[in-house]
Amino acid sequence: MSDETFTRLVDQHYPPLYRFALSLARNSADACDLTQQTFYLWATHGHTLRDLTKAKTWLFTTLYREFLRGRRRGARVTSIEELPPGGAELADADLDQARRLDGGLVLAALGGVEEVFRAPLTLFYLEELSYQEIAETLDVPIGTVMSRLARGKAQLRAALAAGVPSAAVVPFPVTERRKQS
Amino acid sequence: MNNDEAKFLLQAYRPHGQDAGDPALADALAQAGRDPALRAWQAREQAFDLVIAEKLASVTPPPDLRAAILAGGRATRPERAWWQTRWLAVAASVALLLAVVGGGRLLFPGATPLPTLGQFALDDTLHGKHGGKGEPMGALQALLGQPSTRLGAGLPVDFAALEATGCRTLSLGGNPLLEICFQREGAVYHLYIMRAGDLPAAAGASSGPELLAQGGASAASWRDGQFAYALVGTGGMDAVKHLL
Repeated sequence: MSDETFTRLVDQHYPPLYRFALSLARNSADACDLTQQTFYLWATHGHTLRDLTKAKTWLFTTLYREFLRGRRRGARVTSIEELPPGGAELADADLDQARRLDGGLVLAALGGVEEVFRAPLTLFYLEELSYQEIAETLDVPIGTVMSRLARGKAQLRAALAAGVPSAAVVPFPVTERRKQS
Repeated sequence: MNNDEAKFLLQAYRPHGQDAGDPALADALAQAGRDPALRAWQAREQAFDLVIAEKLASVTPPPDLRAAILAGGRATRPERAWWQTRWLAVAASVALLLAVVGGGRLLFPGATPLPTLGQFALDDTLHGKHGGKGEPMGALQALLGQPSTRLGAGLPVDFAALEATGCRTLSLGGNPLLEICFQREGAVYHLYIMRAGDLPAAAGASSGPELLAQGGASAASWRDGQFAYALVGTGGMDAVKHLL
């Protein structure tokens, strides 16, 4: 892949990838690291992808896998069966409140959503991928994506209604990955 | 399909209408077009989703991240092995030879016929990636969303301001074409606007609306003294005509 093509790929995808990484890792340094790591992997392995139209899905999938790989081992993954049902209907007050927030606060509210819902929800709001592509990226069935979107939206609204939480930062071991670049 | 099932599907519908052409969502969208309660629910949901999507899009990466990625990429990308380079050279030669012996069709392709404005708008609605930003676009979106606005009566379009402030801009025949997604009573529509003088003759829209339907979407295109327009929706031709 030429420098020009690589630059174009970076310009096209690094902002939404960074936003996705930021919603997962919940701090800018780790988000930068995840984004860089994703393009590092593209630079070393991405050329094997024959269909460049799949590059976007490849990048989001790789970033998500890198996040899961780097996350502290043993972290509890909430199973769907344990989760409460989706929330009530959207109220006008929820909409008004969302309009008043800035991007950072919305991101903080997203950070308060449980991770199993946060990944599909952020990808949905980034609008880069369809729900089918989100399912492919996260390697879950389409119906699961839809359920998680419904529940994730309910959690997001609850977080906004309760005031944006100061979400705990997920420890994210970056040392190993930094050694590669 | 009952309303609960339709809601389950519609909450995966992206707020700028990118999924308007998704056949798996077509029934749910059609149901929202018929059922006022479901339509109102979808309008509220989509308005909320639109706000969150736009707030998220306003988060900018740190200024040095791009440079770091590019530098890292240049330093790590593998060089092609000699045999790969040679194979590519052979492949390129074969392709060139085939092009020449193929009657020059690949080297001198005929001009691709220009689609009409309506056809272009339909194709983009069904297959394009929608979005856009900017205050002028928001103001026009709000006006278009009002039930009393009749599009055929003329619209306050400041083309240059819309283009300069982030309204989604495409190209038809080499000239700029604006696209604005908006909601009217729960249904999503896409309005395409081009300067009348820029509209290629082959893509011409007449002053009366020209109607076209394809793949579950319906389009009406028309022009006034200043602009040519195409309006596309997925709720049927009557719904599109109702807005004119």
